Amino acid sequence: MTDHSEPGVTELDPVIHAQARLRVVSALSVLRDDDRISFPRLQESLRMTAGNLSVHLRKLEDAGYVEVTKTHHGRTPATLVRLTRRGRLAFDDYTAALRALLDPQGGS
Amino acid sequence: MTPTEDAPSSDSPSFDAPSSAEAPPVDPAESLALIARERANLGRELTPDPRLMYWPWGFAWLVGFTLFFLRFGPDGRVFVDLPAWLPLLTLTLLFITAGIVTGIAGGRVSRRITGPSNRQSLMYGLSWSIAFTAFSVVFAQFSSVLPEAQAGLLWAGGMVALTGALHMAGGAIWDDRNLFLLGAWTSVINIVGVLVGPGWHSLIVAVAGGGGMLVAGLIGWLRLR
Repeated sequence: MTDHSEPGVTELDPVIHAQARLRVVSALSVLRDDDRISFPRLQESLRMTAGNLSVHLRKLEDAGYVEVTKTHHGRTPATLVRLTRRGRLAFDDYTAALRALLDPQGGS
Repeated sequence: MTPTEDAPSSDSPSFDAPSSAEAPPVDPAESLALIARERANLGRELTPDPRLMYWPWGFAWLVGFTLFFLRFGPDGRVFVDLPAWLPLLTLTLLFITAGIVTGIAGGRVSRRITGPSNRQSLMYGLSWSIAFTAFSVVFAQFSSVLPEAQAGLLWAGGMVALTGALHMAGGAIWDDRNLFLLGAWTSVINIVGVLVGPGWHSLIVAVAGGGGMLVAGLIGWLRLR
């Protein structure tokens, strides 16, 4: 996203351009670096079905934007999610591109 | 913005596709609004209710120190002839209650996250306990050799100063201007109270200090809603 003359829609990251995945990445962007959130808590915040969220997380994971780890809290298994550095960069680029689309004269 | 079933993925991203889970939002402004909404949603879940974090302490200060003022007024005056042990007992019980409420409210939110933030919260919580223990031990060495009014001022003034300092530090750690301002305010009114002297210090801390916490809780809550 270095070319900031005429940032067209084609420059927008297709991975997070889908609304559901944009919502997932937006929510995760609230977390501080290296903090992880449990899958059910994220699901509750996003109001998505578990299946739906899993599908989108897998696509984001494939792109290297999120990291999903399985762990144990005592005896109960827990799935934790975090935004990777790459995911955060992609999110920042995406929001910058959106702002540039809204205000082409302003700096990116 | 209800989540919908997966639609087949579109090859080229554009803003004119129909709205669905795979499709983008209709326009950039809507996308930005969507981003802000999701960030606010999760942000709210990860922030303890400011009312539970501030109001129990504000109430404790307001009631506890008012009792101190009424029983141990300026120049040894007794406005209300309460049993001498009542103000300290009340303040202690209210502090314990506030500590439990804040601990539960903060802990519940803290558990929603796994990572460096947990450690940070734990260290901040321990700072309070350790610092208050240290101050208590220091003050206990001197309270027996001081006149009652001065000993009371030492304890109250010292503890309020410590509270102000820890709130300012908390504001710095979490980049929370509200919390920092509360700490600075508490520190300033404490200095004024200590300089004005015993008795008045209790009244100032009760009204301005306790009131400051009630206001901080209200502001925090209004911002989150």
